[in-house]
Amino acid sequence: MAAIAVHQFAQCITCHAWSPDHSMIAFCPNNSEVHIHKLVEEKWERIHVLQKHDQIVSGIDWSIRSNRIVTVSHDRNSYVWNQEGVDWVPTLVILRLNRAALCVQWSPRENKFAVGSGAKTVCICYYEQENNWWVSKLIRKRHDSSVTSVAWHPNNILLATTSTDGKCRVFSTFIKGVDTRDSGTGSAGDSKFGEQIIQLDLSFCWSFGVKWSPSGNTLAYVGHNSMIYFVDEVGPAPSAQTVAFRDLPLRDVLFVSERMVIGVGFDCNPMVFAAEERGLWTFLRFLGERKASSSSAKYGSQFSEAFGKLYGQSKQGINNDRAETSIPRGAIHENCINSIVPLKKGGKSTNTRFSTSGLDGKVVIWDLENQEDLSEYL
Amino acid sequence: MAGHEGFVEADNAEAIITRIEHKSRKIESLLKQYKPVEALKTALEGSPPKTRDERCKSANWIVVHRAIMAIKDVDGMFSSLDPEYYDILMKYLYKGLSTGDRPTCDQCLRIHEKLTEKAGLGCILRSLSDTVNTV
Repeated sequence: MAAIAVHQFAQCITCHAWSPDHSMIAFCPNNSEVHIHKLVEEKWERIHVLQKHDQIVSGIDWSIRSNRIVTVSHDRNSYVWNQEGVDWVPTLVILRLNRAALCVQWSPRENKFAVGSGAKTVCICYYEQENNWWVSKLIRKRHDSSVTSVAWHPNNILLATTSTDGKCRVFSTFIKGVDTRDSGTGSAGDSKFGEQIIQLDLSFCWSFGVKWSPSGNTLAYVGHNSMIYFVDEVGPAPSAQTVAFRDLPLRDVLFVSERMVIGVGFDCNPMVFAAEERGLWTFLRFLGERKASSSSAKYGSQFSEAFGKLYGQSKQGINNDRAETSIPRGAIHENCINSIVPLKKGGKSTNTRFSTSGLDGKVVIWDLENQEDLSEYL
Repeated sequence: MAGHEGFVEADNAEAIITRIEHKSRKIESLLKQYKPVEALKTALEGSPPKTRDERCKSANWIVVHRAIMAIKDVDGMFSSLDPEYYDILMKYLYKGLSTGDRPTCDQCLRIHEKLTEKAGLGCILRSLSDTVNTV
């Protein structure tokens, strides 16, 4: 089994993040709170409830080295939480948004974080020592619609975004006084803050979930049209690959290695995509067990199942007379998966473990270690 | 960047119409030779016309509709229709269903069932979510 642990933490989870040593998990149970659970003697116990937001928390990220939690919410605000003793102390970050904040991500060096918003902007926030204050700098006028996802390049400068205008864009987020123009950043260090490096017009509908490969050489993002896009050589002459698949669209992606990507989304079952020697990306298989799909009756049941999902019934559709096939095809998640988070062990370039959470309120931990057919791509 | 191939300007609409007329004649001759799948492939080639001109779109729909309605053996059709045609065919099936015309809807539903079985729900999503390349 690729899934090694399943935890039912809530009715529905909008997002989750792990503490640096993976002993604690922070998640939003689809309300304005952030719950922190800790593993105590083989049992997960709730140890903190972070209450400061007024509306649904849409993004959480927990920094690995500085042990800070950043949260963003539909209430247009963001908080950075510092652990002082046993308590988590919030610091308000004024994002200057007039629409909901949708996603957040710490930069690799953890001196900045990026927030995507429904105000067609991206906020790059950094700490100003002299004022003891987090400052938000906006990238405006580039996005034509909500920013659904943000991803940091390993060089701490480039930021990739996806948006409901269908585009994927890459920006420079160089901030004077915070970033230094050292050799590690390469040519990216020469661009000014907010400069658009590239705009990818591959999708004709909403795009979600963007990530860089561990080296930063490849970019992957998904469209709401059941397609996944892989872009190499992000720069003046990018090369793009498009993979169409036969199932429901994805919401988020994760690079497990340079040659393997896990996609999660409306199909409730993580999908594995891999690149063969020549660099050609294909859909490999589903990660969870899945009954063979061939009969046409199955599709009928899938439709009513989809209707069931539409009306928030995670178990099975009411108008479904074929109950045995309606339980989501042997998968572990019973509803749309909306986030995937790596469980990275320090120092290793590839990580075989990651967790997924979704609208069914489950957090599932997966491990690819014992998946023999996948080991060649790790 | 790949993706957009740029929309043809309105003055090119005449050229597109001419091309569709040529396609229409080819389809008629293929249908006379009892090659309905070849006719459908011909109809789907170059579809949707890369223009916002509604005349071109409806002219092309008439041609595709003719080919769709000529399909008798749906299973047989899929044994010789390549997967590259699936997404565009799905778009035209939804166009057919939107007409509300009884025989057209019957035929489109028959093909839709088999096509969904072949190409999956992803194919439906691709045809519904694309608001740029409409048929």
